[in-house]
Amino acid sequence: MRVRLPVALLCVAVAAVAAGPALGQAQKGADSDKAMKSVPAKPAAAKATAGSVNAPSAAPHPNGKKGGVLLAMHREDLAQGFSIHETATIATVWPGMPCFNNLVMFDPFKQVESLDSVVPELAERWSWQDNYRNLVLFLRKGVKWHDGTPFTAKDVKYTFDMVRQAPDAQTRLRINPRKDWYANVESIEAADPHTVIFHLKRPQPSLLMMLASGYSPVYPAHVPVNDFRGKCVGTGPYKLKEWKKGEYIEFARNPDYWVPGRPYLDGIRYLIIKERGTRFAALQAGRLDISFPGEATKPIADQLKSSGAKLNFTLIGTNVNDNLIMNIKKPPFDNVKVRRAISLAVDRRAYAKAVHQGGAVAGASMQPKPYGFWGLLEKDLGRLPGYGKPEDNKAQARKILAEAGYGPGKPLQVEMGTRAIALYVDFASFVINELKQVGVEATLKQVETAQWHPLVTRREYQMGANLTGLGIDDPDGNFYENYACGSPRNYTDYCDEQVMKMIETQSQELDLKKRRPLVAQIQNKLEEDAARPIMGWRTDYFPMAPHVKNLVPHHNIYNYGRMQEVWLDK
Amino acid sequence: MSVVIFFLMRLAPGDIVDILFAAAGYVNESDKQFLMKELGIDKPIWAQYIDWLRGLAVGDFGKSYRYDQSAWEIIRPLIPVTVELAALATIFSIVLGVPAGVLSAVRQDTTLDYVLRLVSLAGLSLPSFWLGMVIILGLVAWFGWIPEMTYISPRENLPGHLVQFLLPAAAVGYRSSALLMRITRSAMLEVLREDYVRTAWAKGQGSRAVVWRHALKNAILPVVTVIGIEFAFLIGGLVVTETVFNLPGVARFLVEAILWRDYPIVQNLVLFIAVVVVLSNLIVDMLYGWLDPRVRYSS
Repeated sequence: MRVRLPVALLCVAVAAVAAGPALGQAQKGADSDKAMKSVPAKPAAAKATAGSVNAPSAAPHPNGKKGGVLLAMHREDLAQGFSIHETATIATVWPGMPCFNNLVMFDPFKQVESLDSVVPELAERWSWQDNYRNLVLFLRKGVKWHDGTPFTAKDVKYTFDMVRQAPDAQTRLRINPRKDWYANVESIEAADPHTVIFHLKRPQPSLLMMLASGYSPVYPAHVPVNDFRGKCVGTGPYKLKEWKKGEYIEFARNPDYWVPGRPYLDGIRYLIIKERGTRFAALQAGRLDISFPGEATKPIADQLKSSGAKLNFTLIGTNVNDNLIMNIKKPPFDNVKVRRAISLAVDRRAYAKAVHQGGAVAGASMQPKPYGFWGLLEKDLGRLPGYGKPEDNKAQARKILAEAGYGPGKPLQVEMGTRAIALYVDFASFVINELKQVGVEATLKQVETAQWHPLVTRREYQMGANLTGLGIDDPDGNFYENYACGSPRNYTDYCDEQVMKMIETQSQELDLKKRRPLVAQIQNKLEEDAARPIMGWRTDYFPMAPHVKNLVPHHNIYNYGRMQEVWLDK
Repeated sequence: MSVVIFFLMRLAPGDIVDILFAAAGYVNESDKQFLMKELGIDKPIWAQYIDWLRGLAVGDFGKSYRYDQSAWEIIRPLIPVTVELAALATIFSIVLGVPAGVLSAVRQDTTLDYVLRLVSLAGLSLPSFWLGMVIILGLVAWFGWIPEMTYISPRENLPGHLVQFLLPAAAVGYRSSALLMRITRSAMLEVLREDYVRTAWAKGQGSRAVVWRHALKNAILPVVTVIGIEFAFLIGGLVVTETVFNLPGVARFLVEAILWRDYPIVQNLVLFIAVVVVLSNLIVDMLYGWLDPRVRYSS
């Protein structure tokens, strides 16, 4: 049953909406009467529970200069062209974002991402109805795709029906990594050309976060999805000019962009430079203006700083963590005590220092503060396995292993698998060394990248050194993907009924003050159960030339690539 | 050759579908089957081989799995880059290596000989990619400058193009020149002890004529052989140099295609390299005849 709002109630909701400007938008506070009329009627029992639009944190820059081409670093060529929905890699999102728009996005000027930092984009405002069961999005008018076709609600329905694999979806993605994000969406309704309603099975405020991610662009319904592997038709601030395979991706300003006066830049050129040393030499020599998200590790930043390069550095979180996966379906890791002993044995703070030379921070399953919104406090972390005094933890690990029947006479022997890439091998080697100190004999098995996921998916591993990037800093975007029973990316097969209930509860909780402790409880439980022990959260020093203005790196690598507000002070 | 190229690639575990799913962080068996069918890699290997040969016969090199674009369209712009870089590196190695080898042989056991031998030993010991990286880092550190990071066409900007190519050519050419120098030196030492050279000296010919006309002409055959081998090797062996200097050449793309299991690209690039090897050997054989009349007469 679709719940629709009485016009009168909607008036109240819409009036409550702060008609804050989208970033420099022309249609600021668009006619609310028209918006009201566009929403269909209306069971009497339905209630408007919330109506909200956040205003961006910064107004258009008074001194913003037009012109210039931004030279951006890129580490590899596109794997699936510009089809962001078909990938789960920053290598596609970063150069793909300038071509597209989302319904909503994260405020480009705020580093920490949360519901409070979600601002309008193609949806000029939104309204939660019926106790957060329906999300009504009022779409901007007069927006055109790069080929001149008008943007309408049909495009939104087409896109998200495709991603969630709705039975009546017009098309299908050949690879669909984020289908589960929209598992709670019951249906999507294009109520009129400028109104879209997401009908949910149960309340889920975090849906807005997912829609704001760089992974959630709106695709045009009139362009076959396969075409995105070679071209890009979006509504975004830049049009694709040229993609020279293996060399560069070049965008030019979209002259018909729906935000007057934007973008500032004439274009962006993403230079594909495979060799990391060359990439940073190019940045140092001024051949590039900005780095690539997540690439500037602490040693690289230190080297650039000591060289006297004229670059500005921003220390940010990446929302990417290193984690240990253990195959829970097979002995010995079907025993929670053994898993906990393993987790206890690895000193997290030493890990950050040794493997990342200090370019990582300790934290549980959500990105720690100040980078993340949901991370546990330092005092709470200290109580978790692997975060307290290393000697005490290791002694406890030995004791637990002894209780489980392992000791000097009968050491636990395991195989640690990881990708044959230096950083992964360093990670695995560190853990192996830590395990050795509690009497666990672990051997390293290096697996070629192409083989890693098939092997893990088939659960043909015992232990693994793994990396996980999270598209949004929200528990729903993490827990359902990596810890929920049956999720394809829950590589350990951890499945706990109690945890699932807790995840469901927090997901529906509308009061942030109540949701936070619930999320903390889940994090504690996951670490106690060693569901997927987190080794550390990577940080980035994102260097850029001083003449690059208005580019604010976020504490999440996936969400700040739009470049709409960026300008060059040359 | 085509059999080896085609089947060896498929001995490596995994395929493009595995890699695409790896980038998505999951594997779904039904989606995987669908994708394999779309790319045509669900067919038996022999059927894929016949399809490839059939395509080659009519000039169809297949379609890149990764880019969903004609393999030839992707490969075509890469070839001139690598051929030019290999040619420049070869020229650099000849210009540096052959005269140094001759000098070293003529001045055997002198200080000059020791210095040149040391330089050549260094050239053989230092990997060209390391040297390339040192060149890049040195330029940044001392001049705050490095060459352009995108390919400059010679038609657009010839000086810029040459600057972009000369540094990697020097890095690669230095290593090859060291090899040429050693080969030239040993061949020259052998020839310089021959009776006809002694006769030439005895007849009072000038050292330039004896060394460069009589001795070098007879010592050059093994050097030419090595030059041919080196050139062919460079066509496929410039991987790291192209990567370090960010040049869009065959070798860098080949490695990328191998990692992505983009079979149509790999097969055609390897075939191209094989053709270059055959051709360079043919040219060397023809040069033998031109350089040494005995080869012509004996055949």
